[in-house]
Order: sequence, then C-alpha cells, then structure tokens
Amino acid sequence: MNTNNNVYTVIYTTLIVVVVAALLAFVSQSLKGKQEANEKADTISQMLTAAQFGTKAEFQKMGNAAVLAKYAEEIGQAFTINLDGQKVQDLDLEKVFSPKELKRQNYNIKGGANKTGEPEIPVFIFKDGKTVVPIYGAGLWGPVWGYIAFEKDLKTVAGAYFDHESETAGLGAKIKDDPSFQAEFVGETPDFTSANVFEIVKGGAPKDAEGKSLVDNKIDAITGATMTSGGLDAAIDTWLGAYAKYFQGAAPKQHCGNCKHEGEGHDACEGEECDHEHQAEEE
Amino acid sequence: MNAKLKETILNPIFKGNPITVLVLGICSSLAVTVTLKGALVMALSVIVVCGISSLILSLLRNTIPGRVRIIVQLVVVAMMVILVDQVLKSFEATYAIDKQLSVYIGLIITNCIVMGRIEAFALGNKPWPSFLDGVANGAGYGMILFIVAFFRELLGSGTLFGIDILNRFGYVPNNLVILPPFALILLGCIVWVQRSIQKDLQEK
Repeated sequence: MNTNNNVYTVIYTTLIVVVVAALLAFVSQSLKGKQEANEKADTISQMLTAAQFGTKAEFQKMGNAAVLAKYAEEIGQAFTINLDGQKVQDLDLEKVFSPKELKRQNYNIKGGANKTGEPEIPVFIFKDGKTVVPIYGAGLWGPVWGYIAFEKDLKTVAGAYFDHESETAGLGAKIKDDPSFQAEFVGETPDFTSANVFEIVKGGAPKDAEGKSLVDNKIDAITGATMTSGGLDAAIDTWLGAYAKYFQGAAPKQHCGNCKHEGEGHDACEGEECDHEHQAEEE
Repeated sequence: MNAKLKETILNPIFKGNPITVLVLGICSSLAVTVTLKGALVMALSVIVVCGISSLILSLLRNTIPGRVRIIVQLVVVAMMVILVDQVLKSFEATYAIDKQLSVYIGLIITNCIVMGRIEAFALGNKPWPSFLDGVANGAGYGMILFIVAFFRELLGSGTLFGIDILNRFGYVPNNLVILPPFALILLGCIVWVQRSIQKDLQEK
C-alpha cells in the first residue's frame, strides 16, 4: 500500500483526529460531574479554612462528602451584592463561586473590554457570625484567588486562605502553602477608606519596642516572590475595595441570637441586649 | 522471556536511562520533584502515557503516512496526556495532587522521552516489545524522579510523603533545595555516580 499518496494522507489524518476528538469529548463529558464535585469541595474547604473551621490539610483528609456536610452545617446565609453594598439576590446555599465565576466578576469590577455585566459579588455569612468574601487577581504566572473571613464586627480579619494556579513552588506558592503567611492576616483591620485596603510589603508593619504592630493593615511580603506578593496585594485591594461600602455599614444587621426574633436581623441587635419584648418566651 | 525482551526492559532503567544517559525529560524532572507524592504521580502518568502511546503507534505503524508521522504521533500522545489529566482530576484522592502538578501533567506531551521512544522504537517494532519499551523508559524516568524528590523533600521540607522526619529534631528546611537549580545539581551528582560505575559512558 502506498501510504505517501495525498488522498490517503488526508483521509488518514482526518479519520484519526475525528476518532481522538470523539473519544476525548466522550471522556470529558462523562467525567465532568466528578471533576466539578471535586472543584466545589475544594472551594468550600478553602472558605472553611479561611473561616478557621480547620486547616486545609484536615479538610483534604475528610473527603468531599464530609466537607460538604460541614459546610451545610455551618453556613448561615449567602447572597450577592453590588458595588454599593446593596443585596442583589440570595444565593443557593448548595452553590459556591468557582474560580471561573470569580474571574468573570473580577472583570466586571475592573471594567474594560472583558466586562460582561454589573458586578455581583458574593458574601457568605456563617452561623457563628463570620463573614467570608473572596478575592481574585493576577499573580506572576497565573491567577491567584482566596477567601478572607471577617469577625462579626466586620472590621477584624478572622482568617484568610489563598490559592493559585501556577505560582513558583517554594516562592510564590507560599501564599497557599505557608500557614504563617496566612496567619499574618488574622486580627488585622483593613483600611476600607483607602485604596490600599491591605498592603503586602517588605518587612510588614512597623513595630514598637515590644514587637507589636503599629499599623494594622500591613502584611510582610514573601521573600523572593515580589511579583506574587504584589499581585495578591492588588487582588485584595481591588476586591475588598469593591466590598468597602458593604463593610462600612451597608451590611444587614446580624441576628444577635439573644432573642427569639426570627429573620436575618433587626435593629434591636445593635445593642448588647435586645430591647424589644420577648413575646415568644413569655407566652 | 527471551534475552532481547529482557534487554528492552532493563536497558532504560540503568544503562540507557532516559534522564541520565539520553538526557531527555530534564525540564519536568526539575519542576515536579519538590515532593515525593508529586514525583510518584508524575512518574506513573509518564509510564502510562509512554507505554500506551507506544502500543497504539506500534499497532498503527504500517498504516501511518510517512510525511505526517510526527503529527500522528503528537495526536496520539496528546490524547493520552489529556486522558490522564482528566482521570486525575476526577478522583478525590488525586485531585489535589493534579492541582499541585498543574501544567506539568499537560506538559508530558513535550517530554522528549515519549516522542523519542516512539520515533526510535515503536515505529520499528512489534506492539508488545514497544509497550514494554515505553513502560520501561517511563520507569527509568520515574526512578530518577523518585531519587531526586527523596532528597529534595527530605532536605527542603524535612518530610517524606508529607510525614515529618527531620523537623522534629529541630531541622530548619533548606530553601535552596526547594528551588529548581538544586535539582539540577542533584541530577549532576547522579550522572557522576552512574558514569563512575559505567566506565564505557566516559568520553576519552
């Protein structure tokens, strides 16, 4: 058989490409569900890690089902807001924002040619009062993203978790792998009034004689990973900037848990004690 | 098993090792050897891709048009690489490690060992020996990966397979070991050891 014939060559290559494409499409379709489940569990475990319910390694050991169960147990409410801090719509508690959706919203926040609509960014509130919000941006080699958890007062950071697609192992990858970097965010109070909500800089915050930070929104950058640190800094500034109005007062009042009043929250919870009548208890 | 087949399997493990003798697949051996787990998954992936691509192309070898044979090889290897990546992403146990290896799984396609062995062996031999050749070369590659990763994880993180070994004795992990240049230094040492054992590799 003459395999160098032109017609034969064209038919042969066409055939082999069609067969391979069909096979790959079939495999991709049949595995899609499992892959999405893995990605979802991964995203959820990142949020739970940020909210200090455990470490990422612990969640990894637990397996997907246990992570989802833990999330269902802890999550209180989830909704999206616009840049004015106003609630747009409730989110299905079963759903999470995948890195892909974060990327889309990142374009929407920043504007420009890739904008697909008005920004609609998610807020996740856990039953213990912690509020978790995502951040997303560009690192050195690929996207970086993560979750920052705030305490009930919406001022103090309770925890943070960052992930990346392809930062350098041992350097930029430390934003994910180095717990001490993430731990630096705990207890800090970001400055929502400035464009630099957080600053990730060499040396971190200036310290007084006892080693106590004098400024509350400066984080020590990672040695040898200037670009990744800078990218993460920009991502945090962009996203927390977008949430600024929400955190500065537009947030719905949290339910205090001290009374039996149903609903998301009410003015009475502002004080330390409920001032409305506890009818339910008295009756 | 006849002597020739045995040679096909054993040669790539030591005497004709793809990394230390043929000096192929250097790039990924620097990138994925930070942890033993990563190296293990990478090695298994390369064994699967190399073995099955060799098998498929050896079966097709008499029908492939000579002028487009590299393209046909690429299509088959790319298919295998995507399959491996998809499967790794689908299991709970391997999802995290796939994420960690990220682009390097996809980059198996550029690993010269795969295309090199197909071009040099699979296109001229029967399917069974070709399959064994592919698997053995993958194993030879994996073995070096494993040795390098052993030292890098032990000295760079103080752990083996994520289990603390040195840190409990107050060892401070060495950051240099984590970086790719150290893998190159280690590889150089392995080549040195091999050449001092195997004198016929030394240039006069």
